[in-house]
Amino acid sequence: MDIKTSFNSSSSGRSIPVTSSPVGPTLIDIDHVDFYYGASQALHDINLKIEEKKVTAFIGPSGCGKSTLLRCLNRMNDLIDGTRVAKGQIKIRGINIYDPSVDVIELRKRVGMVFQKSNPFPKSIYENITYGLRLQGRSNKSDLDAVVEKSLRGAALWDEVKDRLHTSGLGLSGGQQQRLCIARAIAVEPEVILMDEPCSALDPIATVKVEELIQELRTKFTIVIVTHNMQQAARCSDKTAFFYMGKLIEFADTRAIFMNPANAQTEAYVSGRFG
Amino acid sequence: MDSLRPAPNSDFLVNKKRVRVLGLSFDDAVKIFFGGNALVSVIVLALITYFLFQEGFGFFGQNHRNLLTYRQAGLEYVDYIRTQESAHTALTRYLSDLRLRQFNYATLEKNISPSAANESLVAFDDFAALYGDAVEPLRGLVSELTEQSTAIKTKFLVAEDKRVERQQLTTEGKIAEAAAVKIETVDFALEVKALTGTLPAYKELAAEFAKKLDAALVTAPAMPTPELKNRLERFRQLNSDFIATFPATTRSLETWDYTRAVPWYQAFSAFLFGREWLTASFWQDWYGIVPLFMGSLMVSLVALLLAVPMGVGAAIYVNQIASAAEQRFIKPCIEFISAIPSVVLGFFGIAVLGQLLRWLSQQDALAWVPGFPFSERLNILTAGCLLALIAVPTIFTLAEDALQNVPKAFKEASFALGATRLQTIIKIVVPASLSGIISAVLLGLGRVIGETMVVLLCAGNRIAIPDFTAGLAVVTQPVHTMTGIIAQEMGEVVRGSIHYRALFVVGLGLFFLSLAINFLAQKIVNKYRISIG
Amino acid sequence: MSALNRHILQSQPSAARRWEAAAVWLFRSATYVILLCGALVFGTIVFKGSKTVFTTTAPFINVAFFTEAPESLYVFEYQGQKREMGDREFRAFKAQHPDASNVKSESYVYSAGGIFPCIVGTVLLVLGSMFIALTLGVSAAVYLSEYATQGRVVTAIRLAILNLAGVPSIVFGLFGLGLFVIYLDWNVSLIAGWFTLALMVLPVVITASEESLKSVPKGFREGSLALGATKWQTIRKNVLPYALPGILTSSILGIARVAGETAPIMFTAAYVVRDKLPWEGLTSVSDFFFQGVMALPYHIYVVSSKIPQNEYTERVQYGTAFVFLMIVATIATSSILLRNKLRNRYKW
Repeated sequence: MDIKTSFNSSSSGRSIPVTSSPVGPTLIDIDHVDFYYGASQALHDINLKIEEKKVTAFIGPSGCGKSTLLRCLNRMNDLIDGTRVAKGQIKIRGINIYDPSVDVIELRKRVGMVFQKSNPFPKSIYENITYGLRLQGRSNKSDLDAVVEKSLRGAALWDEVKDRLHTSGLGLSGGQQQRLCIARAIAVEPEVILMDEPCSALDPIATVKVEELIQELRTKFTIVIVTHNMQQAARCSDKTAFFYMGKLIEFADTRAIFMNPANAQTEAYVSGRFG
Repeated sequence: MDSLRPAPNSDFLVNKKRVRVLGLSFDDAVKIFFGGNALVSVIVLALITYFLFQEGFGFFGQNHRNLLTYRQAGLEYVDYIRTQESAHTALTRYLSDLRLRQFNYATLEKNISPSAANESLVAFDDFAALYGDAVEPLRGLVSELTEQSTAIKTKFLVAEDKRVERQQLTTEGKIAEAAAVKIETVDFALEVKALTGTLPAYKELAAEFAKKLDAALVTAPAMPTPELKNRLERFRQLNSDFIATFPATTRSLETWDYTRAVPWYQAFSAFLFGREWLTASFWQDWYGIVPLFMGSLMVSLVALLLAVPMGVGAAIYVNQIASAAEQRFIKPCIEFISAIPSVVLGFFGIAVLGQLLRWLSQQDALAWVPGFPFSERLNILTAGCLLALIAVPTIFTLAEDALQNVPKAFKEASFALGATRLQTIIKIVVPASLSGIISAVLLGLGRVIGETMVVLLCAGNRIAIPDFTAGLAVVTQPVHTMTGIIAQEMGEVVRGSIHYRALFVVGLGLFFLSLAINFLAQKIVNKYRISIG
Repeated sequence: MSALNRHILQSQPSAARRWEAAAVWLFRSATYVILLCGALVFGTIVFKGSKTVFTTTAPFINVAFFTEAPESLYVFEYQGQKREMGDREFRAFKAQHPDASNVKSESYVYSAGGIFPCIVGTVLLVLGSMFIALTLGVSAAVYLSEYATQGRVVTAIRLAILNLAGVPSIVFGLFGLGLFVIYLDWNVSLIAGWFTLALMVLPVVITASEESLKSVPKGFREGSLALGATKWQTIRKNVLPYALPGILTSSILGIARVAGETAPIMFTAAYVVRDKLPWEGLTSVSDFFFQGVMALPYHIYVVSSKIPQNEYTERVQYGTAFVFLMIVATIATSSILLRNKLRNRYKW
């Protein structure tokens, strides 16, 4: 995973936009999705398969639709008035998550999310982690204790906070807060973790820690990460999807996207010529 | 490939069994509960409108009947003559004023002792007495007719009551008792004839009256100064004008017809434009909103005149000039003033401010102020001052908000061009926040016009249109207000009576007035908000 | 002035500067005149009222004023001595001294005794109406801030709230009379007063609650929902607890308004005089709700407008106004202080 972004200009005129080479089983199948905010179309015919236990990065300039697509995956967009998936399906394990029979609450338990701005609840660290479990009615003290430790260890935060589990989560530093949010998300044992620019508000040192954490988490979870930072995508993802103007321009192995992009726009973006 | 690796629990996304009642999940029910509560405000607004209308609606019908009775029972006929009598009374008041002026002239300018001055005015007194007494025969006729028409009206009202009683008994099924209720039908034609029969007598009286007046005027003594001479001349003019109205009155009496219908719109116009609010009178009740509306308006104007400069000035000071420490002190203080209950302010007006203002008005040094000195301690001014204190926090808070919303960049740009603080405030900050300030003033007006306790306690409660001929001194007159009249009279009226319904119609007027003010304020804010960007 | 001291940026007196100084003083004096007027009202009532409320001997508080019901004051001369007595005392005195039975006395209604029933009535009115207003208002605010989507219904609700806030209190009084007292036939009663007052402060409570709810960061909601919480779980566990202090604080200002209003209770709940306390003489539980009460603001209105002003009546007038003002002022001050404290505490 030590891919350096080399700006080789070996552009290729291949017209096929998607050059995926699936090696793992598909977990999420995004099947020709159109998405609207009111009257304006935010996503155009997105077609993309996300593999299990891989890190998939969505990159692209601001407003390209990458966050929108991410929020479609656990239906967080439902919270915004006037949004709708007009065409296509998003299937997780073959089940269309926009089907009326799907319980969105169950969906969100299985598809966790970490937000751009760390948002620990103004409760203690312990309560933050156990929030999701308590919602499910789990209240066995030793059970919860075990989960808290496991999650915090999983988020590489245990050593830093084990002595102050019952102090407010807001007292942590920015990077710690974000890792707390990750710990909170993994406490409910989702299959997928969606990360919406998780490092954009963090300093470089905290960013490195979160990136290291992502590397560890990939063994257990399927991770989809939206990022502005191309180096980050290059460093920590297996597959990368490049979006532009609500369209999926190219989706391939990260190495391929950065070393040998198939599309001229992708190349221009990863080499820093626009965006 | 999915099929090769069966998911651990592939049905995990399918809806679990959630408890549903009537097809609603618990969450839906919670949402509906909250939504229902939110709808309460709409329902309340609708209910207010509905109940004000429901209770007030019958008023116009009743008022129409009220006006009809006024005509049928001949009260209108009598009032034609009464108007003539009261016009004469006004003329005699002019004469007493003239006497006072002569007396003052004699005692103050000529230094004649009061008793000697009175003696010198004997000739004038004789003249005035002659002039005043001329009305006596007419007055006699009026009081005679008053009694007659009151009797007709009473008879009619009693008959109406009986009719209602019978109807009630009938609906209750007590047919026998209903039949036993005796209803005396009033034959207006016959009854009114007794009134109109006096017309020839009236004509004679009027002719004699005019003659007597002219004859009395001949005896008027000469006036000592040109100014007073002019006044006497003016009086002669008024007198001949008065006599000139006699034929018109006679014509009105001749053409008066008790059968003439009262148009339906008069029930409305008599309310909207009626200049008298006269209730529980032995003669005729009038429900005209004009004096109450004028009272509310005058009190509010005085209050705004005081509160707008103060409130806006304070807002500018606190927002633009004051130090942070001063702001922290002033803002809570003004908020605190807004918490003073209006009934306490009203009590303060009665106990302290009214007397204080009257005492001030009687100071010689302040005699130049129009309307000073005054004797009624409860008047427009007293109520207006207290209402200003109620309006100031509203205006201050909203105006301060508007100033706060002006982008800092505007100010900085102005300062960077070398403008002083005052220039920046006047040319940049205030214009940019003007819409907010205007709506603040409007909402302050809404607050003031709807205020009850202060005006009830301090406005003087005299139901009369303020006398605007007094110029600025009009503010020292007592008035009654729309809010005050409801608070004062609602407790004493009979439910369902015309008076009760009239009060509801006044409430309805207040309600729509407040809605209109609110609407205007919002409109102004929305229309000019873009200007700030 | 030497050339050394002068430079191009030298401060110079100018017309613009003089105008500015004058305007600043004008604005400043406007501000302080307002404060002065407020202080004058407050000071007068505190100064004169404290004479009634406090005494120079222990326990330094006029206990009778707080614990007794209003009664008439009799002033008479007996054996060359001027005496003042309350109604009951006067009767007892006459029974004791038969020669005083037809002594000439002047009587001043409500000027003796205390204001206990009025305090009780006001407390009951405030508690009941705030309970109703908070229940309705907070739920409405939760709907508007958490559930509502843009649409006609919500626009109508917002418009209604905005307009309801501007409706004069006397119109609420008329409305209460029309709906609760007459149509629902509750008569002049506590419950009619509760609902009238509650509906009157509803806009204040809704606006305040919505503001508090809006100030809870969106991240709290998203974070909770992303963990698989239902909407109601999110609101109950992660939004309301953080908004509640703000809601309650702002609503205290509503309490001050409820306590201070006279016009709405004039026709719906207030009696000029009632010799039974609200818990006396009840034959059933519902009697409690369907009885009228005495209330402080209405009592002030009655004593300041229906009885003449003189040295004997002044005591009860100022005393009542003082007690009432103190109650409202305490509520308002605590609201202002709490809010400032809250502002400093919650910064997410």
